[in-house]
Amino acid sequence: MFSKIEKSPILTLALVTVLFLLYGYATSLPKITDFIIFCIFVIGFDLLYGHMGQLSFGHMLYLGAGAYGCGMFAYHVYPDPFLSILVGVLLGAALAALLGTVVVKTSAAAFALLNLALNEVGAYLALSPLHEWTGGEDGLSLFFESYGWVDFNDSTFRFYFCLGALLLVILVVTAFVRSPYGILLKSIKENETRVKFLGYNTFVYKYVTFIISGAIVGFAGALTSVNLAYCNTSLIAPTRNVEVIFAALMGGAGTVLGAVVGGTAFMTISNYLASYIVRWEMFLGVALLAFAFWFRKGIWGYARKL
Amino acid sequence: MINFIQSILYGLTIGGILYIISIGLSLTFGAMGIVNFAHGLIYAVGAYALYTVATLLGANFLMGAIGAIAVSIPLAYLIERFIIRRLYGQSIDYAIIATYAVLLIGADALKWFFGASPLPISDPIGKLWYFGGLQMPAYRVIIIILAGLVFVGLSLFFKKTLVGKIVVAGLQDREAVRSLGIKVEKYFAIVFIIGSALAALGGVLYAPLSTLDPYMGFEIIILCFAVVIVGGMGNLRGTAIAAFTLGLVHSLTAVYLVSSAADAMVYVVMAVVLIFRPIEASA
Repeated sequence: MFSKIEKSPILTLALVTVLFLLYGYATSLPKITDFIIFCIFVIGFDLLYGHMGQLSFGHMLYLGAGAYGCGMFAYHVYPDPFLSILVGVLLGAALAALLGTVVVKTSAAAFALLNLALNEVGAYLALSPLHEWTGGEDGLSLFFESYGWVDFNDSTFRFYFCLGALLLVILVVTAFVRSPYGILLKSIKENETRVKFLGYNTFVYKYVTFIISGAIVGFAGALTSVNLAYCNTSLIAPTRNVEVIFAALMGGAGTVLGAVVGGTAFMTISNYLASYIVRWEMFLGVALLAFAFWFRKGIWGYARKL
Repeated sequence: MINFIQSILYGLTIGGILYIISIGLSLTFGAMGIVNFAHGLIYAVGAYALYTVATLLGANFLMGAIGAIAVSIPLAYLIERFIIRRLYGQSIDYAIIATYAVLLIGADALKWFFGASPLPISDPIGKLWYFGGLQMPAYRVIIIILAGLVFVGLSLFFKKTLVGKIVVAGLQDREAVRSLGIKVEKYFAIVFIIGSALAALGGVLYAPLSTLDPYMGFEIIILCFAVVIVGGMGNLRGTAIAAFTLGLVHSLTAVYLVSSAADAMVYVVMAVVLIFRPIEASA
């Protein structure tokens, strides 16, 4: 049943919309807006991890780039929400394009650790040398212009805007991974040497994917700072990298819907369960071990077989 | 000038501690291709064991150090037996995720038992030594000497003992050693435990220079990855050189550039090394 839904884009989008609407109105819209934005982050991250087979341990850097790009534009230049978000996406993509030239050449452990090192440097830059622009430890409080009903100060509008953004990202990324390009990406994940033998320049494919991932994650970052109306160093903190990795793993790496399921499940656990479970990090660690050892396909990986 | 020498000596202290902690990490990485975040947990547990014995139970610092090493050995055995051993030959992503999970569980357990607020440990010697116009806490001098002793001891261990020789051979060609009928994994496990005991010792040594907090393992482990990567995985001499170099980078940045940039500078060095000398993980 689930695999049929996955194959049809209309059914997929309809199901995601209905479920998020139900979830949002049953609980609270601002909270579910956070969930939706996190799902976009997971999709962007999983493009590298699940589809290209490289685990980045520093993708908070691109989330931070998007958040700060959006936040700094709104704060210092002009508080137009759409331009700010665009600047955030462009900054995420530009940073990925710049760093990707060296990061993409590495793989496996070096890829993970290089991203982590760059994330540490980025977080330091945002905190200290650039504090005049980024607001340092205090961050920036943001305000956005509103045009009639397009009002980002209204949490209901933000919910629908972010839901629309998620649907767009799902549509684009699904089309991307099903295109010949996406299939080639999967082949690179399976065996890069053989793809090289076939005459493809695998670096270019990986590099472009890295930039797309940076742009999507930057988009999520920009939406985060619009939604929270602030941006601070917690949006670039290297210690939070584990969240997105866990979400991707829990949902099922390598599928777009898996990323959405994992993102929602992770946020649900961390928002609702965390207030009941005192030893929340311990719970997270044990769950992480369970998924890494026994349930590598993730929730969606098993559900789609039903 | 005195200021310069002083900061060099402080850098050597940090370098010595980094060396003692990193050696186990380097061996796990080089021998088994496993990125072991759980190493940071053992370091933190070592520091907290010292706190328990020396501060809570009122014994002296040396007893605390012995207690820390005594606690780290069974803990390292458990981690090796139930986590690391399942990750041999697996994709490196799962190793990163699983060992990070162990670090997370351990940090939360420490928070459970000891609380989240930072705990201080006083300098066990508390004396200053004077060399001309230079003044230096005796404790820091002892750390540098101790790091030197560990280096000599490990060099002898890997050159003279059978276990050490098997491990060195295994680092170069695991299959060849295995074809001689030697269970390389068993020897790697022994070295894993030695490396972990050293990490606990590193935690003990670092504790009086800083404060304890449950997340201390997270901070140090990334610095240690920097050491391992700069020094070359499984390269024992390289690890020593890298640790002292990065220790110097750390302290000189703090003194002559911006004090808050010290950590970031180490990561810059790490990134540069990763870019220009790509590592090939065996997994």
